[in-house]
Amino acid sequence: MAVTQNHITGTANPSANLSANSADQGAAIEPARRRRRSATGTPFTFALGVATIVSMALLVLFGLLLSPPDVTQGESVRILYIHVGTVWVAYVAFGVTAIASALFLWKRTTSLTWDRIAGASAEVGVLFMALTLFAGSLWGRLSWGKFWVWDARVTTTAFLFITYIGYLAVRGLGGSHQQRGRRSAVVALLAVLEIPLVHFSVELWRGLHQEASVAGSTKVQLENLMLFSLFLALIAFTLLFVWLVIHRQRVLAMQDALEDKGLDYALAARQAESMPATERVTTHASQEGTA
Amino acid sequence: MENIGFILATYIATFVGSFFLAAYYLRRGNRLAEQLPPEDKPWI
Repeated sequence: MAVTQNHITGTANPSANLSANSADQGAAIEPARRRRRSATGTPFTFALGVATIVSMALLVLFGLLLSPPDVTQGESVRILYIHVGTVWVAYVAFGVTAIASALFLWKRTTSLTWDRIAGASAEVGVLFMALTLFAGSLWGRLSWGKFWVWDARVTTTAFLFITYIGYLAVRGLGGSHQQRGRRSAVVALLAVLEIPLVHFSVELWRGLHQEASVAGSTKVQLENLMLFSLFLALIAFTLLFVWLVIHRQRVLAMQDALEDKGLDYALAARQAESMPATERVTTHASQEGTA
Repeated sequence: MENIGFILATYIATFVGSFFLAAYYLRRGNRLAEQLPPEDKPWI
């Protein structure tokens, strides 16, 4: 109750309500306690966050210390765990964006939640694609002697990255939430078609980039501990992706709600401010009574 | 360990980038939540 009152009056500090009455005190302290935790978090996301941190710590341990160096690439193979982990998440993120966009466009399942999931996933995907390019360029410097080569895989990956930056730009154009959803969903469904092109570019064109290390047609033998570290990276980055998308989706939901009803809340706050303090306490007490 | 600088740069950039994105989401979420009543935050 006091939480609602706090928002409508626009009181910045919840403890401002403490003087109203003793019944208010306990209720007013409650949001202060709650504020210590994330506003977008739940026990599930907390557990997910802990699992992510633990798996990331294990990834550092295995990736940097316990896994052996490669026969031909030496120590630089340790970049593989980050490079493959981040590109995996980017692919998954863009796939989720496409599926959520299709569900938004389909009349039976249409909901702005799908649109927000699509946007959140694309945003996280863009970050991980940037990290993939960064890790790849450092690895390229060590393996090929250059930070950047116009190889088919590298070039198509950069093109995919730019496409999804464009997708995020389209999301930022004006209009209603529905217009934003429809417009960006169409772009997402077109953009996802690039992923097979990027993935198979190493087979379609001859270049410097190696083929897939694990599920590819070439017989690349990964040592057991290297394979374990690679799968650990995939798990750790997937957990991080899920955590980020859940939080971002909730932030976007609040952003949309504020855009829709922000004016109403601001007017209610102004009205509450203009009321005399005694009347405010009386109103609040009567609300407590009816509740 | 040879090429340690390149390897560490990859790991540090990835973890720092992820950390800042996560921190931005949490901070933005907390700021928006202050302006909205509980009915607009159904997950709480």
